[in-house]
Amino acid sequence: MSKSLSIDTAAYIPSPSRSSAYLDWLQMLTGAALILFMWAHMILVASVIIGPGVMNAIAHFFEATYMAQVGGPLIGLVFLLHFILAARKIPFRAEQQSRIWKHSRMLAHKDTWLWLVQVITAMLILIMGAIHMWVVLTDLPITAEKSAARIQGGFWMGFYLFLLPLVELHVGVGLYRIAVKWGFVGRDKRPKMQRFEYVITAVFICIGLVALLRFYFLAL
Amino acid sequence: MARNLTFSIFRYNPQDPTSTPHTDTFILDETNHMTLFIALNRIREEQDPGLQFDFCCRAGICGACAMVVNGRPGLACHTKTKDLPENITLMPLPFFTLVGDLSVDTGTWFRNMAQRVRSWVHTDKEFNPRALEERMDNALAEEIYELERCIECGCCVAACGTAIMRPDFLGAAGLNRLARFALDPRDKRTEQDHFEIVGNDQGIFGCMGLLACEDVCPKHLPLQDQLGMLRWKMGWAGIMNLLPWKRK
Repeated sequence: MSKSLSIDTAAYIPSPSRSSAYLDWLQMLTGAALILFMWAHMILVASVIIGPGVMNAIAHFFEATYMAQVGGPLIGLVFLLHFILAARKIPFRAEQQSRIWKHSRMLAHKDTWLWLVQVITAMLILIMGAIHMWVVLTDLPITAEKSAARIQGGFWMGFYLFLLPLVELHVGVGLYRIAVKWGFVGRDKRPKMQRFEYVITAVFICIGLVALLRFYFLAL
Repeated sequence: MARNLTFSIFRYNPQDPTSTPHTDTFILDETNHMTLFIALNRIREEQDPGLQFDFCCRAGICGACAMVVNGRPGLACHTKTKDLPENITLMPLPFFTLVGDLSVDTGTWFRNMAQRVRSWVHTDKEFNPRALEERMDNALAEEIYELERCIECGCCVAACGTAIMRPDFLGAAGLNRLARFALDPRDKRTEQDHFEIVGNDQGIFGCMGLLACEDVCPKHLPLQDQLGMLRWKMGWAGIMNLLPWKRK
């Protein structure tokens, strides 16, 4: 009886809601946080280029302060949350997929293609990033020697050669998208922002490649 | 310089059950200062009187002749053939209802958009026909005029990946329209009123920032800046509503 009162009597008039705004903020903020994390992560891992001792010292610092043990799973949660939020925009219905694909091919428009790059890399990063986090976080402490042994096994070298450009593309395009979508970068600054996106993507892919090579040739 | 242009033009009459969608090819010699508007009229006059396409002003003002030219939405009257390769493919605008061949019905969508945005000055002031018109700062009037230059051709919506996937999306034309009324001091609607219209996934938060609207708009309206400004403003309007003393 009291249950009947819970029927939404305004079923046909959508009640004004702020949820779209909150979700959009969260999508942007989790994205921005992950961009900063990915850059910091890459720079820290790249410390191996200077020497395995430097990387070990940094890794030890993060474990001694429990930042890896607590922060790692937290980043995992942000990563998952960002996926769920952004997935609101991903076409999952076959009809929508076919429409956006034909549309992108017709239009041949860079930013439309780059959005598809974001979507496809997102799906792959969801799986590969999760595997990477699991493998690393279930085998603490992180040391340069353990990472090198994994890379030199062969399979993981291929895995990271694939994951690295996926992540950097997603991060680069995501940064550009946030900037133009939220009005941080206006019409006059857009070409500059686009160049910055290309440069930052290329720089981080290069740093990543050098770090991978360093691991591959690190004497164990 | 005289080239022979090959036009591949989409043909289909949805009213005719025997008609099937196909492409017809027409060859035309290029003349000086030729636009697609001139070319299409010559094709209709000299080769196929049944070819359907819309035009009215032939000067980029009426917005009727928008079509997809080699993959890009644009105005036929604004497009010079000398800027195009020898092979030109013409398709009707996607997203809108097809009338026939290159002609689509943009009017129904724009009428609906105007109703959603409630595209008129909302005021409780009684109109006095004898009074002098209220004055407005010239800089502001120009700012409003800049957004009002929209000719409702539909290119921005036809180029929008979001609208193509989600037909209930308001599109750059609709969001730009709201931005125009948000600027107007005569319109008494508040930011929270604007939020109720576009603060959702069918409005500004549905925009995915693909910016094809910005890149195809034949009138070069500042769509990127308007969309960015609206997202920022509406985003904060949503947050402000969390504060109990600001809640409407």
